[in-house]
Amino acid sequence: MEARVVFEILGVPVTENVVWTWAVMAVLIIGSAIFTRNLRRIPTGVQHVVELVVDGIEGMVVRDIGPRGRVFTPFLMTLALYILLSNFAGVLPGGVSPTGSLSTTAALAVLVLIVSHGAEIKVKGLRAYLKSYVDPYFVLLPLNIVGEISKVLSHAFRLYGNIFGGGLIISIIYMFVPYVVPGVLNIWFGFFQGIIQAAVFVMLAIVYIQSRLE
Amino acid sequence: MIGPAIAVACIALGAGLAVGIGAIGPAIGEGYVAGKAVEAMSRQPEAEGSLRTTMILGQAITESTGIYSLAIALILIFWMGIPLVEKLLELLS
Repeated sequence: MEARVVFEILGVPVTENVVWTWAVMAVLIIGSAIFTRNLRRIPTGVQHVVELVVDGIEGMVVRDIGPRGRVFTPFLMTLALYILLSNFAGVLPGGVSPTGSLSTTAALAVLVLIVSHGAEIKVKGLRAYLKSYVDPYFVLLPLNIVGEISKVLSHAFRLYGNIFGGGLIISIIYMFVPYVVPGVLNIWFGFFQGIIQAAVFVMLAIVYIQSRLE
Repeated sequence: MIGPAIAVACIALGAGLAVGIGAIGPAIGEGYVAGKAVEAMSRQPEAEGSLRTTMILGQAITESTGIYSLAIALILIFWMGIPLVEKLLELLS
């Protein structure tokens, strides 16, 4: 199950997940550079699509966290686009989706943990943050801590399990029927599940941030 | 030599049971979510859009427990099973 090491830089092994993450990052950086070249008051052409996507995510954020949630939109936008594109990367021939490895999804889940807890500390201050763990009674301290940890674990495992499981099913079936069926399965597991899991991950990130900020 | 063989058999059995039993819960849950969503849609056809997204989201979140059992089965097979099988083959040859 270990990711295949593609090459090494100064002795540091670089796995295929990292290489494909770079590819996804390149697509995102170049794409964002191209699409936001000459933004105009009256949107034309591609700008419609870009505004639609940004408004969509910003709408979700503001509806749940309120107007002060607008500051999270860039973070959530990047998260959504990265997960979406890396889920799609598995569909390409010979492609590997970085989200198919637990280390990537765990890193993303920890990112959301840091952002949500950091936001609470910034908004309510450290004392209120620490007090929230012993909220009603001191007895609940372990329960609250385990609750937080299980949120992060389930957040990471859900994305990892879906993407890795989907990829595995496709590769197993590829051994028996290498022509038609994997294509159809790729559409289901790669695109449909990819979009759903990206949406679920980001919406849960919004809910986690909102629950910490309340 | 019998030890690894039993271990491999138990791992295979465990992985199969994990996914098999782990599929019951989400299947019932997701069916229930879909049924209620269809009822709500028939009662209020104009709210179909938001109902569909909420249904898909609810199903995806319900599915996560099934995915945990899948992940456990994968870990059982790939990280424990395959090394043991290789060890078993060495012992045989």
